[in-house]
Amino acid sequence: MSKSTILSGMDLSKKYGDLEVVKGVSLSIDAGEFVCLVGKSGCGKTTLLSLLSGLEKPTRGRVILNGKEINGASEDELALFRRENVGFIFQSFNLIPTLAAWENVALPLFPLKMTNEERHLRAMELLGKMDLGHRIKHLPSALSGGEKQRVAIARALINNPKIIFADEPTGNLDSSTGEAIMGILNKLHRDEGVAILMVTHEVELAKAANRLIRMKDGEVVS
Amino acid sequence: MNLRYMTKELYYQKRRTLMSIFGLSTGIALLIVLNSLSLAYRQAAHVPLKEIGADITVQRSGDVPKDLAGAVFPCSAVTIRKEEVEKIQKLPGVRGIGTGLLLWVFDPNRAWIVLGIEKENSIGPSLLRSSVTEGRFLEDGKPEALVEQAYARQFGIRLNDAISVADKKFPVVGFVDASRAAKIAIANVYLPLKEAEDLAASSKGLQSVSPYEPGDVNLLFIKADQEKITDLASEMKGILGNKATVATPDSFLKLLGSLFALSDKFTLAASLIAIIIAVLIAFKTMAGNIAERAREIGVLKAVGWTNRNVVYQLMLESVIQCFIAGILGLLIALVASFGLSFMKVNIPIPWEMSPTPHFLPGGGDQIFKTLRLPVHVPWNLAFFAVLLSIIIGGLTGGLLGRHISKIKPSEVLRHE
Repeated sequence: MSKSTILSGMDLSKKYGDLEVVKGVSLSIDAGEFVCLVGKSGCGKTTLLSLLSGLEKPTRGRVILNGKEINGASEDELALFRRENVGFIFQSFNLIPTLAAWENVALPLFPLKMTNEERHLRAMELLGKMDLGHRIKHLPSALSGGEKQRVAIARALINNPKIIFADEPTGNLDSSTGEAIMGILNKLHRDEGVAILMVTHEVELAKAANRLIRMKDGEVVS
Repeated sequence: MNLRYMTKELYYQKRRTLMSIFGLSTGIALLIVLNSLSLAYRQAAHVPLKEIGADITVQRSGDVPKDLAGAVFPCSAVTIRKEEVEKIQKLPGVRGIGTGLLLWVFDPNRAWIVLGIEKENSIGPSLLRSSVTEGRFLEDGKPEALVEQAYARQFGIRLNDAISVADKKFPVVGFVDASRAAKIAIANVYLPLKEAEDLAASSKGLQSVSPYEPGDVNLLFIKADQEKITDLASEMKGILGNKATVATPDSFLKLLGSLFALSDKFTLAASLIAIIIAVLIAFKTMAGNIAERAREIGVLKAVGWTNRNVVYQLMLESVIQCFIAGILGLLIALVASFGLSFMKVNIPIPWEMSPTPHFLPGGGDQIFKTLRLPVHVPWNLAFFAVLLSIIIGGLTGGLLGRHISKIKPSEVLRHE
């Protein structure tokens, strides 16, 4: 593993009962690298992303994220590790419907000992970068799909992560909004140097990435 | 724990918040009202005795002479010896004793209910002093009489008239309004205790069935430590024998016959049911609420909330909801208690405490003490109810939070 490797998975397998969804996958991602994981629906992309991000534990294999092996960590240790190192972007945005845009962005900071003003300032800064400075007090129900995803991206960035895991981030958006979101992710990777592992089934979107990893039936094929 | 998140969750999820609050507040209100009612009946049961300044009254039943002439003791109140009174006075828990001597006097033209009373005692019938409507109260060492106002009106007795009771003349120095006095130990004529003692001691008929010496009495009014009343009642029965009638607030409570008055066990059972209903409502509503939020909790955990963070947040929401429900339940109970306090209750006075001979007109009628039910919510019950709500909230939120916090974020987030 090179010094610049931010994430590496070795011989990762995941079984649900008799069904092996991920079969002995090994991969690594360098700091600041934009990697796309592509494949058809049900090929194990999202499961692999969950294993690599510490959302799920592998049946076999090891994951080293930012220099720390996370396999043996407890649920709470993993949560704390994610809070400090990882950002997530989901297909369905997964914003909290009762919280305003800025509060959704600040959600990972809620358990931290800091003032509300500090959280607000940090969230405002990120929402400004996402061109959502005028929508900070709106509830998710008052935002368009593209705006929701931009709020979700701002939330993923609030803890200055080393790597962002994006699971079909444009899956619920029309093509032009999807392109805009991809533009933001590219900019993040280019300007901020954040590593991105994006799962998608659209090969066209994956062209923006530095590297493409193809999956089929739970295995990496290229 | 984040207050902002909690406030917004409760505010924007109004329907489930209100359902949860109303459900629990109903249970809490029921709990408070049931206990307030039970307490009110208990307090009401104290009233007949309290009016006469006592916690316990003691009598002993016996025989009446075959020939009803002159002064006799009612069959429900025969001689209690001086030595027996002294023994009772020495019982631990007895704080004071008032005495009285109740006589039926059968004169050739009239029958009198006569009560010999002490002039100065804060316990017993000397409290009649405050019910004198005309004239004055009895003075020390003078053979004089007070007459009950309605009785005086019926028989044309006027102030300063001399009435003859068992061949002895007594000037009428005042009238007493019995409707303002206690329902027990009432009479037509009130004499100084010493004068009544003389009437009893000189009555051959009375002596033939119930030997009597001056200093003996037939009514005892006892002030006692509240927590010792039940024990004292059985000790007094031990001193006076099985013919003793010892009336306590509990015996009046039993006469009320109401479900609330029947036993503490009923109130306890009903309260427990109210609490269980409250807990179930809170648990069910919050369980539904939390199940609906499985995805949200998955997101919280994905972005770095620990199990403890999730549990504390859900506990905070639950405690605040239950606290509001407790306060609302208390307010509902206060309003209901106010409404119930207009309810009237009739407390039956046992026949043996009724001074009127049952064979005289109206003598067999049941006497009642009628009063407004003193329903109120004591502060300690209010405090307990609100505290209970908070505990229910803490436990419900904690248990459900612990359960849901074990959810794996990948399980709820993977199926887009």
